[in-house]
Amino acid sequence: MSTEGKSRIQVLQGTLDLIVLRTLCSMGPQHAYGIAARLEQVSEDLLKLNQGTLYPALVRLEQQGWIKGKWDKTENGREAKYYAITKAGLKALGEETQRWRQLSSLVEKLLSEEF
Amino acid sequence: MRHARRLFARLKNLFGPGRADRELARELSAHLTLLADEFQHRGMSIEDARLEARRAFGGVEQAKELHREERSVLWLEQALQDLRYAFRSLLKTPGFAAIAMLTLALGIGANIAIFTVVNAVLLRPLPFQHPEQLVRVFDDLRGAGAQDVGMSVPELQDLRDRSGAFERISAVWTVSNALSGGDHSDRIEMLGTGFDYFQILGVNAALGRVYGPQDAVPGFSEAAVISDGLWKRQFGGDRNVIGRRIRLDEDGYTIVGVVPPDFRHPGKTLAGDVEVWLAAGMAADPMPMPIVRDRRLVPGAIARLKPGLTIQQAQLRLNALVAQLTKIYPKEYPAATKWSLRLEPVQESLTGSVRPTLIVLFAAVGFVLLMVAVNMANLLVARSSVRMRELAIRQALGASRARLIRQLLTESAMLSLAGGLAAILVLTLTKTSLLALMPADLPRLAEVQFDARVIGLACALSLLTGILFGLTPALHASRTDPNQDLKEGTRGGTASLRQNRFRGALVATEVALSVVLLSGAGILLHSFWNTLRVNPGFDPNGLLVTRIWIPSPNNPKANRYLTAPPLAAFSREVLRQVRMLPGIQDAAMGGDNSVPFVRNTLALRPFSLPDDPDSNQKQRSAEVASVNPDFFRAVRTPLLRGRVFTEADTDTTKPVILVNESFAKRYLSGHDIGMRMNYDRKDWEIVGVVGDVRDDGLDTPVAPRIYRALYQDADSNELAVFLRSASDSGLKQAVTRIVHAVDPELPVYGVRTMPEMMAASLARRRFSLFLMAVFGALALFLASIGIYGVMAYAVSQRAQEFSIRMALGADARDILLLALRPGVVLTLAGVALGLAAALGATRLMASLLFGVSPADPITFLAVSVSLALVALLACWIPARRAVRIQPVVALRS
Repeated sequence: MSTEGKSRIQVLQGTLDLIVLRTLCSMGPQHAYGIAARLEQVSEDLLKLNQGTLYPALVRLEQQGWIKGKWDKTENGREAKYYAITKAGLKALGEETQRWRQLSSLVEKLLSEEF
Repeated sequence: MRHARRLFARLKNLFGPGRADRELARELSAHLTLLADEFQHRGMSIEDARLEARRAFGGVEQAKELHREERSVLWLEQALQDLRYAFRSLLKTPGFAAIAMLTLALGIGANIAIFTVVNAVLLRPLPFQHPEQLVRVFDDLRGAGAQDVGMSVPELQDLRDRSGAFERISAVWTVSNALSGGDHSDRIEMLGTGFDYFQILGVNAALGRVYGPQDAVPGFSEAAVISDGLWKRQFGGDRNVIGRRIRLDEDGYTIVGVVPPDFRHPGKTLAGDVEVWLAAGMAADPMPMPIVRDRRLVPGAIARLKPGLTIQQAQLRLNALVAQLTKIYPKEYPAATKWSLRLEPVQESLTGSVRPTLIVLFAAVGFVLLMVAVNMANLLVARSSVRMRELAIRQALGASRARLIRQLLTESAMLSLAGGLAAILVLTLTKTSLLALMPADLPRLAEVQFDARVIGLACALSLLTGILFGLTPALHASRTDPNQDLKEGTRGGTASLRQNRFRGALVATEVALSVVLLSGAGILLHSFWNTLRVNPGFDPNGLLVTRIWIPSPNNPKANRYLTAPPLAAFSREVLRQVRMLPGIQDAAMGGDNSVPFVRNTLALRPFSLPDDPDSNQKQRSAEVASVNPDFFRAVRTPLLRGRVFTEADTDTTKPVILVNESFAKRYLSGHDIGMRMNYDRKDWEIVGVVGDVRDDGLDTPVAPRIYRALYQDADSNELAVFLRSASDSGLKQAVTRIVHAVDPELPVYGVRTMPEMMAASLARRRFSLFLMAVFGALALFLASIGIYGVMAYAVSQRAQEFSIRMALGADARDILLLALRPGVVLTLAGVALGLAAALGATRLMASLLFGVSPADPITFLAVSVSLALVALLACWIPARRAVRIQPVVALRS
């Protein structure tokens, strides 16, 4: 466990959780690969992340009871674990979105302040 | 809520981490398949797609690691892993695990046992409200070299009303008492107090009420408070006991209350726990009248300091009071006597006498644990040299050094916790028999029990020991070079020079520690031996003592034995009858303070010598006892000069007195027979000097002593029949029967042989000696195991070297000396180190010693020699093996 890795996760943690929740909310149940592909697509490759880093976020969200995983088949007949947002997750998404907006507007305001 | 839920999920993952791992692996492989599908879809070959998928995904192992960290509590998971691993590896070596646990259980158990006692006796505050405010007040006459001489009633009143130091103060004195009921009287222990006694302690009755200031009367109040023990024994635990009338020393009292079962008077008692509490105003019968300032009637006082006053501040106020009173009453307080008042915390005056013993034992037992730890470290180093390969492999596979240390420490902590647990278990099971081992006169013995503090210490001690003995070997073992050790390991595991040197240092430490412990034990043994060799001043063998309490009713006129004639008549009749018993060689009667080795209530009493011109300047004091004419002959104490009492010394003849040798030496300088003495407001003539008797214990210096004639002045509250006979079978019952036949109202108690009483008086000494001897033996055993282990290992390692030497022509003697040398060097170094430490340690024991200097050369010599011999034996056994090595076999292997 290098300190470098730790700090990166910490920076991403809240954000990544929020993004995953949002993705699952808008796309419906999705597997990890699907979420990763969606993120790359939306961010137009700006957000370059190893797909493996999704897993800690997923287990965290699942342990908090915000998403729930279930094994299923893809349209090509491959097996995959599909994560769906739960009722608690929807509620949390609302709250977290609200908090994120407050935070980002505050940061925006501070950054645009003239000296 | 969400945090709790998450924590629960994480903790759940600690158990059965395999399931989560399998699930993740399945998910990851599904993920990779989907990714590969995608790349294949974009036109890659199957092979390329699979590789590209891996690349896009990033490190699979990192993902797993991160996932594991996220889903579980990693350090805890690893700790559990370490625990499981430690458990397995200990199971693999059950012999090692058993020996380790046993020694640890011994070391930790001994510590817990001693600490339990130290905790109950010394550390735990007395079970009263604000125990720090409770003090004892003592009167000292430093000019006369007398301490705790008791106080007069006016002084007690001054302390209460004028000192400004106390919230409340109460006299306290312990006496025997005759509890009448049924066909005979029982002797019980009574505590006389002032009316504030229970309010000072803040104790309420469990049943009924305690007496208080509202009961105040000039003499004894009728209200009696009884102990839980007496209530159950005498009254069958009857709740209607309140209001019952009882007769104590022939006076009627009413039981008003029963104290709680765990309440004990926080002070010295005569022979057991207090069973009846009575309060007196000290201003009427049976107190001698008139009340005067220089009559020290009150044996002692207990008080509660004014709130917010420290004991030092209170002492200053007492000093001021003393200065004031000395000025007002120059006749009662002559300057030369240096009268002073002294405060002592109740807890200290209760337990002060055992403090040094307990502290020494606690230190000794700490040393034992230290030895156990060193021995364990030694064992672990030996074990880790065997496990070198395993550790090297683990390191090669990526275990960090910290992780290895953690794992080794887990193992040692697990061992010592198991040892601690075993110790607690054994102690709990054997508690009753262990308590029976302790001297019965240990204060607060009834309070000895396991409490949270003891359990806490047991756990802390176990963990600390585990870390102590585990850390060095762990640091040591983990500092390995996998390359080197894997190679060495395959060759059959030879430990490095570094390791041998380390083990050598450990062994020398063990030897040093055991020298310290053995010296402590040896010096106690020597001083015990000295105690036994002390001439008690009489012949205790074949002597049986039977004590009789003479009730002293509150109305002196009701006392049938107030004057000498009835007391003498009773004594003569009892003696006449016991002399007719078979096998009796001699019989005598003693009065107050005549029985040696029992805790007498007496203090030194002041007297003066009118014939001695110096006498008026100096206050003199001596113990006072009374005996009948047969006494010195019966106990075989020699008469040195003059004569003993005769039947002709009665209350109508001239008052005569005997003194002991110490008295004559200290105060009489040559002229003794015929000297006049003024004592107790009367003039007496010294008619004889008798030999010293060690009345206060074999190890206590003899005090100057005055003997009064029992048949001449009946100032005795008790009698004691001394019987010398060839065998005491049936004698105890016969004496009791005779006394009851002569006067059924008198309680008989304390029927014991003199050797029994001597043994009891040495109980504390024997107890500490016994424990120190056990600790010393344990230390010796551990040290010899340590030496043996290291030497045996060294010899097996040097087998090749010895073989070569033998092949080159060395003979058996050369090899033997060669093999012995390192062990001898270690032992000598350890002994030298230990002697230096022991000299310091025994100095701390000075107060426990009798007739031995802390630097006792005999002890130190004996300890060094015996330790060297044991060590030599431990070295010699493996060295013999070295001689028997077959060069051909050793060189080929």
